[in-house]
This record gives sequence, structure tokens and C-alpha cells, in this order.
Amino acid sequence: MTRGSWERKGETVEVILTGRKLCKWYQLGEVRVQALRDVDIEIFQGELVVVLGPSGSGKSTLLNMLGGMDKVSSGELFYRQQPLHGMNEKGLTRYRREAVGFIFQFYNLMPNLTAWENVHLSTEIAAKPLSAKEVLIDVGLGERLEHFPAQLSGGEQQRVAVARAVAKNPEFLLCDEPTGALDFETGIQVLKLLRKFSREHKRTVVLITHNAGIADMADRVFYMRDGRLDRTRNNENPLAPEEVSW
Amino acid sequence: MLWRKLMRDVLENKAAYLACLVVISIGLMVYTSLNLTADNLWQAKENFYREYGFPDGFATVQGISDAEIRRLTALPGVARMEGRIVQDVRVIFPGREESAFLRLVTVGLSQETQISKVKHLAGLPLDPHRPGVWVDSQFLAANELEIGGEIPVIIGGRKVFLEIRGQAQSPEYVYPMRTAQDLFPDPRSFGIAYLPLPVMRSLAGESVQFNQLIFQLEPAFSYQDVESLLEPRLERFGLVALYPAKDQVSNFILNQELSSTEATANVMPLLFLAVGAVILYILLKRIIEQQRGQIGTLRSFGYGSREIQAHYLSYPLIIGLAGGLLGSLSGLWLSFPMTAMYQAFFHLPELRGRVTFDYVLFALLLSVGFALLAGYFGSRQAMRLSPAEAMRPPAPLSGRHIQLERWNWFWHSLTVQGKMATRNLFRHRQRSLFTFVGIMFCFSMIAVTGYFNNIISVMIFEQMTKVQTHDIKINFAAPLAAESARRELLNLPGIKRVEVMLEAPATLKHGWRERDTVIIGLGRDAELFNLFDQDGRRVLPPEGGLILSSQLAEALEAKEGTIITLESALLRGDTVSLPVHSIIPQYMGINAYMDKDALNRVLRQGELATSALLVAEEEALPLITEKYREASQVATLENRQQLLDNFNEMMATYGFTVWILAVFAFITGFAVIYSFSIVALAERKRELASLRVLGMTTGEVSQILTFEQWLLALAAILAGIPFTIYLIGQMAQAMGSDLFTLPLIFEPNSFIIAFVGTACFILLAQWTLLRQIQRFSLVEALKERD
Repeated sequence: MTRGSWERKGETVEVILTGRKLCKWYQLGEVRVQALRDVDIEIFQGELVVVLGPSGSGKSTLLNMLGGMDKVSSGELFYRQQPLHGMNEKGLTRYRREAVGFIFQFYNLMPNLTAWENVHLSTEIAAKPLSAKEVLIDVGLGERLEHFPAQLSGGEQQRVAVARAVAKNPEFLLCDEPTGALDFETGIQVLKLLRKFSREHKRTVVLITHNAGIADMADRVFYMRDGRLDRTRNNENPLAPEEVSW
Repeated sequence: MLWRKLMRDVLENKAAYLACLVVISIGLMVYTSLNLTADNLWQAKENFYREYGFPDGFATVQGISDAEIRRLTALPGVARMEGRIVQDVRVIFPGREESAFLRLVTVGLSQETQISKVKHLAGLPLDPHRPGVWVDSQFLAANELEIGGEIPVIIGGRKVFLEIRGQAQSPEYVYPMRTAQDLFPDPRSFGIAYLPLPVMRSLAGESVQFNQLIFQLEPAFSYQDVESLLEPRLERFGLVALYPAKDQVSNFILNQELSSTEATANVMPLLFLAVGAVILYILLKRIIEQQRGQIGTLRSFGYGSREIQAHYLSYPLIIGLAGGLLGSLSGLWLSFPMTAMYQAFFHLPELRGRVTFDYVLFALLLSVGFALLAGYFGSRQAMRLSPAEAMRPPAPLSGRHIQLERWNWFWHSLTVQGKMATRNLFRHRQRSLFTFVGIMFCFSMIAVTGYFNNIISVMIFEQMTKVQTHDIKINFAAPLAAESARRELLNLPGIKRVEVMLEAPATLKHGWRERDTVIIGLGRDAELFNLFDQDGRRVLPPEGGLILSSQLAEALEAKEGTIITLESALLRGDTVSLPVHSIIPQYMGINAYMDKDALNRVLRQGELATSALLVAEEEALPLITEKYREASQVATLENRQQLLDNFNEMMATYGFTVWILAVFAFITGFAVIYSFSIVALAERKRELASLRVLGMTTGEVSQILTFEQWLLALAAILAGIPFTIYLIGQMAQAMGSDLFTLPLIFEPNSFIIAFVGTACFILLAQWTLLRQIQRFSLVEALKERD
């Protein structure tokens, strides 16, 4: 049973993702590796969630489940009213296409497409995309449209990746260590972009990291350990990205 | 956008894709050009045969009258029948030593009524009152004769000048050979002349009767129906031969050429396409492995697995399309010179190249089909990955001990690079297997071309230096008394040896199997015509038995001791049974041999000879030729040297086509090694860069890859030797005919050539590889994330 909305700070907010007893295991030869154990989770419209945990704690696996990149081994996962568990590959592809925007640690740009082409690649398949060019101008790359990834700095590449995810105009962004490969200053710039997207478009951003400093800018923080959701912390007064430090 | 990614990906690996494209193009070029050429040939033949009435059957007799022919025409199944006089006469070219012959063939003057009409190409009509002839164009051209000129010939012992009134071509002499024993036409020494019957009679004597019958069948009848009726009726006219259209020499060779061209056109391209498809498969597999992360990313933002598979299928698709287009269009272009080349061999008036896109379309479908198949199998596995799995780097390949390590002496003799290379071979079994097969295929192709180049010389050499060791062969116009002929020839100045032979046309039967052949009767002291058994030992014809050539024995399913029934026009209806004494290999001709005296006894015609073999002083040869060219008892005079020269001339053009195949094999081999090396290099950039950082030179590093290739090449070459022998065995069986058998003799030099060729394409591919290794930046390679 899923709940369609939730009362928060006197405002009704919708629940967009609900997970119950989510489990994921991998069979490696004769060994069964348990990556997620009985995770219950709810994610609301417009919030910025940080999932914190050491490496191997199951954050990436959780992110893959939420993004429809992989199927749960057991448990139930709903996007709004739609069950994602048991959804076939075609359904999951449509879900990723319409609802999710991914941002990765190593940017994962197509090396032989220019910045604009990389963004355009994702808007081509989206239902209501934003203008690829405008989003790139928005992230400060108006002068770099025709550059290939190899001609861009790491920060610039990650901004292209953000633009690529945002330009699809998805329901929410899933970010896997988006600042992991960047220096502090550049990292802050990327976080500012994510924050801006979340606030201006009232869209959800789920960000996984092992960098505890970033947690201060989140509305809520999930702590993961050994594949379990250890605890959750609500941040009444999240910091602005420029105020966080690590 | 994916389209741009595709184009840039392809351009990044352009050399490998280009190599693949070239292989596919070669295959389709062969496919299109050969099929088009065969089609042109077939169409020209069909049109010419239909329009000019190619006969369904032929009968050669000693003499038959018009009235008898009219009677035979009434036989059921015979639609039309005509008689004609066919006679070979010697041409006397002033100042020329070699003999030349003209076959005089009578033709009717009203073209409408005839079977086997003659196409008048140029000049004046024939005139029944003037000794004028139409001559085939090739004979005129080869002997620099012109319409209006004259040809001096010997008819019935008289020298006659035939006026050349025009040029003509008959469907029966599309490939004009004097006898089926000739290997190829020689327009300089043999031509056809067409003349009206009255002219023929005025030249050869009014009493000369028809000696050849040609007939066409009623639609519902087969040749066999009519043969069984005709044969007994023709016997009293001295039946020499009765055969259907398919056994007519020119038609037989034309059909054989057609079917072998078609077979090549359909088999060869498949081999090239298969190699091309394997290269594509390997390239695609590699690119998908390399772009695993990209696939994951694309999936993450919502591209479906089908869209991504379609994207990766478009790589082979564009190569297939481009290769198909390039290959088929160049094949279309090539079909014109190839058709023109056939014009030189087969004189079909309407044989010309034409533009048709049927085969271009087929070729495109073929190449796209092969490419998509390669693409499907190459991309299938990657598409099964879930997006999350695709995002993760692939599990590293397991490092494992291999079986070879048990061979201590071998394993310990390897350098570290050698060990890495050997383990790698077993790690990438599939790719190693493809490389192995690819090298083996190319090695064998080169070896096969080498074999063909060799074997024809071997056959000729064998025939000319071992079997027939005479200088001149004289064929008598009619059988002569053996001893007196021998004595007369022996009295010539400069003569060293004379041997007379008796050649008797006969039908050999064993059960229901039968074969028309010539029984050659050899003297017991024969030295100028030698027979050898399987082990190369000389055998002499026995007193009371037959020696069969192995093809003849096979056709009759005869073994040693089998009793063969012998029929001959010379036996006047009687049959004789003889046992098979032995079976000998023979490359050319399908003959049976007997002791000359025994053959004479069987035929009960007295001591006769039909030809003589001569060995003489070199200076005496022109004199003998001169003396006998015009003698009435001599039908033909064959000079061995002349035959050999003609042959070598022809080999020069034949050898060229053979070497083109070798070049194709070379290119294919290069493409296989090169594209696979590039894949291996891309895959192991990091590993190789690490070794460079450790202090190894580019040479030492490249050894890992090259050692791997040499190891495979060595195995492939070793396997290629039996494979070549197998291939040639298959081809010999497919190509062997009554005219010749391909002996399975393997000279080491065709393998040596193939070895050198293989080593060359491997070295060339490795050299390009080494240049790539020298170019890549260590820092980049080490940074790269797989």
C-alpha cells in the first residue's frame, strides 16, 4: 500500500518513491553477495536527499534500484502509484526515459560527441525536454557548446553531465558521487547547480556520497551501513551549497 | 545524435573497418563480375544457338546419300536432319613451317531451311559456281588474311586456291578446336571454312558423299529415343560416331566454362564474405566491450536495449552497405573487360557486357545479410546486460594456467612475453580460432593458386617429355600398311626413329556403362609413346588385354580383370571382349591402350597403322615438314615444339588470373591479421603501457602481440598444408573431365610461395601495428578507464 502524499511543514508534499523491504543480492559463482537488506524508504517531491555511507554500504545499489537500472531481488518499489518491482525491461526503460535524470561520478559523456551533442542525445528521446543549448548556457557553458569532452575540464564535463540530466526535464535527479572526481571549488559549483534545479523546478534530487560535509545541504540524510538503512536525519535548516565544506 | 557517434566511432577505427570493407568488396566484386559475365555468356550462347539452330545430335559416317537421309528424317522423333560434308584440309602458307588446317564444312545456300545456320558477318554471299568460302574471323585475323584474298589448300592431293568471300561464324565452332584432345583453340593453325555443296563436290570429287549428319529432335523426344533408332540404321554407312549436343566439343567446353564460372561465382564470394563477417563480428564485439560504460549511460537516461542494439547494428550495416555497393559496382564495371576477355575465347556474335542491376541488388542483400548476422551475434551478448551491470567495468578475465604449461621444455623455453602471449591465445579462444582459420584460409588460397600455376606445366611437361617424346607426329589420311609406311619414313634423311601407331575409335562397354574413346595400339618396342603406372614404372601393352586410363576405368567402373566389350565401326557390327590388364593414371585424354599387333588381329584388317611418331635431327625437321605437308596420304602433321610454344603463350594469360586470386588472398590475410591486432592492441593498451613504463622497448612490447600471431600462423600453416591438399582434391574432382585430370602432385614450391606470402602479410600487418604502438601516449593509456 503506498501513500500518495504527506504533510510536511504545513505543506502537502507528494511521495514520489516508496520502497518496502528492498533486498538485492548477487550470485557470484557459489557465493551470494547481499548488497541491500530490507530497506524501507520514502522520497518526496522537491526535496534534496543525501544518502551517506562508506563504500560497499549499498548506496550505489540503492540508487540503481531507484533509477530502474536494476531490479530488486525482493521487496516492493513504487514510483508514484506504479510498481517498479516486477516491471519488465520495456517499462523500466520508459521509466528512466521519462522520470529519471542520472549524474555519475565520472561524467560518462560520449567521448566523440560535443557538449551540445551530448545534451541533445538525451533531449532527443525525452517527452518534454528543455532546450539543450539554454540549459548549457544556464550551467555556464554557453561558450563551450562545440567542445568535445576531452577538451573540457573535469568540472566542465560534470556540468555537461548535469545539463544532460536536467535538459530531459525529469521528475527527479539521481546523482552518484557527483563531486567525487572534482576539486572543492568545482564541486561546490556543481552542488549549486543541483540545488538550483531542486528549488527552482521543485524537483527531487537524490545524491549519494561518502562525503559527510555535503550532508549539511540536504533536507534529509539517509545513513547506509552494510546494505541497511541505518538511520534518517531531518535537516530543519539546510545550508546553502557555498556554506558547506569538507 | 547516435548517428554522429557512429560515424565518429567508425572514423576512429577507419583502418580496421577499411580492411573489412575491402575484403567484403572483393567478395562481391567477384560475385557480381563472374555472375554477370556468366550471364552474358549464357545469354549470348542461348540466343546464338536458338537463332542459328544448334543441332540436337551429330553422326559421323563414312558416306551416306541424300535419299538415305530423307528416309532417316522420317524416323519418329527426328524433326529435321541434314547431311553435310566435313573435311579437314591442309593450308599451305608460303614460307611457314608449322602446319595449319582448315575444316571445310558444306552449308546450304538458302539459310531458312538449315539446322546449324552460319552467321554471315562480312563480305559477299557464297556462289555455287566459284571456289569461294566464308572463313571464321579468328583464322583470318591470326593469319593476316583478308576478304578478297586466297587461301592455298591441299584437297585430294591437289593444291587449290580458295577465294575468301566473307567472314562467318557457326554456333558449332564457338570454341574451335580440331579435336577434343587439343587443350585450347589455336586460330593460327586451325580455322573453319564454309562453302556450298556444289563447290565442295567440284573440289573433292563429284562422288563424295555426306559424311556428317546433323539433326534436331521433335519436342517430346529425347536424344536416347532417337539414338537407339539411328544407330543400327547408320552402321551400314560406316558409323564412326553418334553423339548428342552436349558432347559436341565446342558446346561441351562452353558449358563447362559456364558451370565452372558459375560455381566460382557462388562459392568464392561466400568465403570472402565469411571472412569479412568474422572481422566485423570481432570489431563490433570489441567496440561494445569498450563502450560498455557508454551503453550503461545511454540506458540510464532511457534508451531502450533495442535502440542501442539498432545503433550497434548500424556499424556493420554501413560497412556492409558500403562494401556491397563498392564491390557490386566495381564488379559491374569489371564484368565488361571480363566479358571482352571471353570474346577472345568464345566466338559468340552477341557476347557483350551489359548494365543490369540484378546482381548489384543481390550483392547488396548478401553483404547486408552477412553484416547484420555478424552484427547480431557481435552485439547480442552485450544487450543482455542490465543497465546497472553495463555501468560497472566487466569482470577481469581470469588468469589461469593452461594445458601447454605442462610441457615443461616448451614452457620454460619461452620468454615472459612468450608466456603472456601463449596464455592470451587461450584466453581469447574465439578470436584465436578465427585468426587461425583466417590464416589457414589465406595460406591455402595462395598455395592453391601456386598449385594451379605449377600443375599445368607439370601436366604438359609430363605429357611432352615422358609420355610423348617424339618430335613430329604424322596422322595418315587413311590407314596405311604399317611396315611399308614405317620403312618409307625411316628412309628420310636425318630420321633417328620411327614408330607407327594404330588409333581406332571404339565404344567400350561394361554392363550398362559405356564410353566412346580411342584405342591406341602401341608397338612392343614403343619408346616414343610411353605408359607409366601409379609408381612411375613403365608398362607395356599386353598381348591379350587392355590398359585403361584411370578416368576411363572410373567411367566404366572397371577394375583389373574386368571384361570389357569393345564395339567399333571397324568391326562391322561384331563385338570383341577383352580383359582389363591394368589401369594407369593419365592426366590428359581418356584412352585405352593395346598391343598394336593384338589390336590389328582384333580388327581383322591386316597390319595397319594410322599415324607415325618421328624423332629426327633438328636440321631435318623443316625438311620433313616441307616434304609431307602436301602429301596426299598425310592428313595432319603435328610439331611438338609448336604445341609447346602455343601452350606457353596461353599460360601467360591464364597465369595472370591465377595470381589475381593470390593477391586477393594476400589482402584478405592482411585484413584479418591487421584488424584483429588492432582489437588486441586496443584491449591491452594499459597492459602494454605498463610494460613500457617498466622499461620495455616498443619492440619488446610488440613481441607479445607478434609472438601470439606467429604461434597461430605456424599452426595455421601446418594445418593449411593438409587443408590445401584436401581443397585441391575436391577441386580436381569437380574440374576433372574427359579432357584432362588434375594430378595430385604437390611440388614443395607452391607451399613455399604460400609460406612466403603468408609471412609477408603478417609482417606487413605487424609493421603497421608497431607504428601504432610507437604512437600511443603512455600517460593516456594508463589513465584510460576500461
